[in-house]
Amino acid sequence: SGELYCSLLNPRHVRFESINMKNVLHWSAPEGTGNGVLYKVKYSVYGVGKWIRKPECRNINRTWCDLSSETSDYEEQYYASVKAFLNGMVSDWVETTRFNPLTDTKIEPPMLSISSTERSITIILTAPEKWKRSPEEESISLLQVYPGLHYNVSVLNKKTKKRWFFSISNHTLVVPWLEPGTAYCVSAQIRVTTPLLDSGFSKEHCIATLKDK
Amino acid sequence: TAGNKILHFGACRVSMSMTEIRAGFTAIKANIQARDPIRTLSILSSPRSLHKVKSSDRCCITHHLLNFYMDKVFKHCKTEDSYVNRKISSIANSFLSMRRKLGQCHEQNQCMCGQESTEKFKEILANYEGMNVTSAAMKSLGELDILLDWME
Repeated sequence: SGELYCSLLNPRHVRFESINMKNVLHWSAPEGTGNGVLYKVKYSVYGVGKWIRKPECRNINRTWCDLSSETSDYEEQYYASVKAFLNGMVSDWVETTRFNPLTDTKIEPPMLSISSTERSITIILTAPEKWKRSPEEESISLLQVYPGLHYNVSVLNKKTKKRWFFSISNHTLVVPWLEPGTAYCVSAQIRVTTPLLDSGFSKEHCIATLKDK
Repeated sequence: TAGNKILHFGACRVSMSMTEIRAGFTAIKANIQARDPIRTLSILSSPRSLHKVKSSDRCCITHHLLNFYMDKVFKHCKTEDSYVNRKISSIANSFLSMRRKLGQCHEQNQCMCGQESTEKFKEILANYEGMNVTSAAMKSLGELDILLDWME
């Protein structure tokens, strides 16, 4: 005999949140429900017929589900959907909009390594890696994913407060003709022109040029 | 102009205003894709992804697809939203200039059509003709990022 289900309000704000192609499905609990709500999740590849259940996100009480592994092919696009359960009550399936990992991810700032001489600073920039399943898996730099990736670098003279901006596509920048024995602070951002994706600026890294001998 | 990108198709080099097209599409993507309820079929990617097409056939497929969007997609995508309509016509204008530039390569026989591109384009047309015109056009427009990702 079929079980009778009453209807529960739907989960809300069902969406992908993606950073460096770590693609996590997030949602909010149905309005007015406290603890005790359970959820299940399914996803589908756009253009392919079937919905696929995510076993690790079945009967969970948290409001997120990591679908990075299932959505790692960034030549495809995806949908995901969530259903809520509480005391025999069931919600509808609520879907995301179409998710395109290539254009809908956020890119983190680059990592910086800086060194100085008396009159110059050398800045080495490293783009973040694409999310990977395990540390043993081969790393893929976002530079390989976005060939048009380049860096905006800001260099501030702490004494004069003068700031320079550089836009470079290779990963090393040497800033010459600086003042000896002076503190400089460096920050950098990643910019991809198409699709249009900008990281925020990195934390400032400060270094002093060596004193004149 | 800013955001122009030189796309290489074998001997053919075509400058395309990708940033402008992308920005226009991003502005209406959610609106357009929400009008396409069919998840199980992709006009451009079913049954095989565009990425599977040989690079030697890229120019021909691109030429076909620019014509496809001009002749069968944009003109059937009128909406009740004037903002969306303006964005669509701006994208169509960019496609028009791209088609003209790529057409010159085609005339100079630098855009050869192999069997693979012919077959792939037949698949795309079959997917399109398997739906009513408005739904097929709206789905195709909603897949513009698939085309742009592949072109780049």
